[in-house]
Amino acid sequence: MNRVFIRSVGLVPVGEHWEKGLADLMYEAASNALLAAPGIKPDKIIVGNMFSGYAEHQEQLGSLLASTLGMAGVSAIKVEAACGSGGVAVHEGYLSIKSGEYENVLVVGVEKMKDMGTGKATKALSMAESAEYTQVAGASFISLNALLSKVYMAHYGRKDEEMASFPVIAHRNGVTAAHAQFRKEITVKDVLSSAIIADPIRLLSSPPAGDGAAAVLLSSKGGEVEVLASEVATNQFIFQERENLLDFMASRIASSRAVAKAGIGVSMIDFMEVHDAFPVVAALALESIGISKPGMAPIDAMNGRFNCDGELPIGTFGGLKARGHPVGATGAYQVAEAYLQLSGGAGKNQIGGAKIGLTHNVGGIDSTCAVHVLRSAI
Amino acid sequence: MIPISYWRNRRSYTALMGSRCRACGAEYFPPVRVCRKCKSRDIEPREMPRKGTLITYTKLTEPAEEFGKQTPVYLGLIELSNGVKLVSTLADVSESELNEGAPVSMVIRRWTEEGPTGIIYYGYKFKVDAAYSMS
Amino acid sequence: MKSINPIGIHGYAAYVPSFRIRTSEIARVWKGGGAGPNESKAVACFDEDVVTMSVEVAREALGMAGGPPIGAIYVGTESKPYAVKSTGSILSDMLGFNRSLGADLEFACKAGTEAMQVVSGLVGSGMIDYGLAIGADTAQGAPGDELEHTAASGAAALVIGRADGNDIAEIKYSTSYISDTPDFWRRQTQHFPSHLGRFTGEPAYFDHTIQSSKRALSDTGTTPKDYRFAIFHQPNPRFPFDVGKRLGFSQEQIMPGAVNNLIGNTYAAGAMMALSCTLDEANPGDRIFMTSFGSGAGSDTFVIEVKDRILKRRLGSVRLKERMKKFMLIDYGIYAKWRGKIRE
Repeated sequence: MNRVFIRSVGLVPVGEHWEKGLADLMYEAASNALLAAPGIKPDKIIVGNMFSGYAEHQEQLGSLLASTLGMAGVSAIKVEAACGSGGVAVHEGYLSIKSGEYENVLVVGVEKMKDMGTGKATKALSMAESAEYTQVAGASFISLNALLSKVYMAHYGRKDEEMASFPVIAHRNGVTAAHAQFRKEITVKDVLSSAIIADPIRLLSSPPAGDGAAAVLLSSKGGEVEVLASEVATNQFIFQERENLLDFMASRIASSRAVAKAGIGVSMIDFMEVHDAFPVVAALALESIGISKPGMAPIDAMNGRFNCDGELPIGTFGGLKARGHPVGATGAYQVAEAYLQLSGGAGKNQIGGAKIGLTHNVGGIDSTCAVHVLRSAI
Repeated sequence: MIPISYWRNRRSYTALMGSRCRACGAEYFPPVRVCRKCKSRDIEPREMPRKGTLITYTKLTEPAEEFGKQTPVYLGLIELSNGVKLVSTLADVSESELNEGAPVSMVIRRWTEEGPTGIIYYGYKFKVDAAYSMS
Repeated sequence: MKSINPIGIHGYAAYVPSFRIRTSEIARVWKGGGAGPNESKAVACFDEDVVTMSVEVAREALGMAGGPPIGAIYVGTESKPYAVKSTGSILSDMLGFNRSLGADLEFACKAGTEAMQVVSGLVGSGMIDYGLAIGADTAQGAPGDELEHTAASGAAALVIGRADGNDIAEIKYSTSYISDTPDFWRRQTQHFPSHLGRFTGEPAYFDHTIQSSKRALSDTGTTPKDYRFAIFHQPNPRFPFDVGKRLGFSQEQIMPGAVNNLIGNTYAAGAMMALSCTLDEANPGDRIFMTSFGSGAGSDTFVIEVKDRILKRRLGSVRLKERMKKFMLIDYGIYAKWRGKIRE
């Protein structure tokens, strides 16, 4: 089977792109990646996106991007797994090359969120959950995460100020990240005094809505970073039906398989891009991957373990909270950021001596999880 | 909500119609096609009990657009008396009563409507029992 | 009105929403002070309507009746959620009775007792074994109108079947008196009703209530002293006592069903809710005299005799007046938002 490398990446800064539509965003990210890899012609395009149909009345993004790039004729598809769309798109690209069917695959994650008002965006995000049994009852995506937070905090006795460590880390890392939506430090006090959206989740403990696109050019022909493993797993679709609400089964299965297939141990990982959409999700991700003991991830975060100069940096460009969370693009941003770290291109955000990185991207509340293990091939 | 989808699922929305596995007796809401526990496909419809307890709740100030006028939305995680968990909006909330373990019962309320000319969607909500709140 | 089979009540229930607004709060907004004739009124939550309140009372009344098969659901209301689409059909589905008649009746505040008459007729003729008669309303007065003090929300239900020994009370007699008296009305596409002020008193409420009641007393050869309880429609706290006095009924006979001062006028649910409160206190052998009133105008009168079964069937249920003690006060802003009085 073919080995899979990342040849180049392209990023659009996350934010309010009033002047750019879906095709513009995809084009910008894809062009940046293609210009950085002269001579490489993709034979497949995969677009990761969650709700372009609902938000912009546009589907068939694969063909749209192919034509926008002047590449009509090429194989192209869109894949969707809610907030995990980007990670799953990279996974599909990985499989395309691994199987030997394709040599160069351009993966683009894209989301256009800002054209919608807050109410409609909340509706769009809630579509990650059951339309027939969750959305109808008034549950938004944030409110389900709020319930999960309450269950987690009650079970482990965690406090608001401990949970708030995650957005503080994210914002600190975002300050020097050129493509981050927020480049401003915040304190635990800032988090805890920001407006409540769904108790205990506040404005500063939830990710911002933003427009964005990230491109990852995968190739069997070598590159500065190798994708050692790419795994996708699922959890029980409806969150409240899970026997143990605190078991991020999809994250647990995808990460353990990925680490095993990569032939490494968890302790060999130098940094992680985890899906820190909400503090509780970051915590359960780190715990299900085996980094922190159950209930202890917020304490580890508070003690500096996940800082850029700590034992295991996370969200090295600001994570979902500060870099931003253009939902269907997020997984692609994470892989692109891991590439920057492992190829020595992370600038002021460079983690010294980074050799192995892991990306963790989920759709819904751990309903789908895509994990990638990447290694520097320099 | 989609009008005809509402019609299809109305027994679940207004009578908590779920499923029971004939092979192992496990009960589910919403209805399932395959038993999660024993993987049997021998499933029958089963109404869920209308009583349960509140595990936890959240007060949502930015709900999805169709719930905008109902803000704040109180959303509860509820364990029914048969052990099945569900997420439901809470009705007639007095915040001081929303304690963990509070007994709750199902009521039928309006969920949403398709604007002033469209279908009205009714469904389950849960309400803290009067006997509990008066004590 | 005579039926072939004797008619009995097998279960009853009434529901008052959890929220109240003081009439002094309404008067503060519109008159700069003062209050209405009643202290407060019951307000349905934003997610409540005639369907949701009817389900509450139907389930409870059916529970008391031991869950008999229902052949008809008639809902009397002036605030049905759909102008065209039967509330009865929605209820029958929610309650699981698909082999049932189900329609809505409108006759202002007497629509509920009109449903009692229709269901009694179906049972009395043998067309059905059991039926549900419901009176329910989320009544509204125009903002600033004096009706706003009293127009309230509530529901009441009776399970009616044959008086076969399993009934808790027998409907021994009923009659009706109606005429074209335009004291109060609402045109097809209007949100709020119109009325002719004091004209709603003498020629409407008092005349119809007295005509119907007098005929009932005469037909049954009874006098007010033959009854332990009396119920008259309560558009405000005073009228039922005034009309009772004119007919020879005492305050004590009327008091058990009097709820207007705290919850206002629940329209189609009004008389049936008073019956519910009265049945909560009645003993076997007690006789109840009941006359409703609906604008437009008309009255229904019933003579009801309480049976032994009531003691057993009532066990475990909490009296309505007890339940009404638990409520939450809201201000005019919340009231206006919930009841759709803010224009979009």
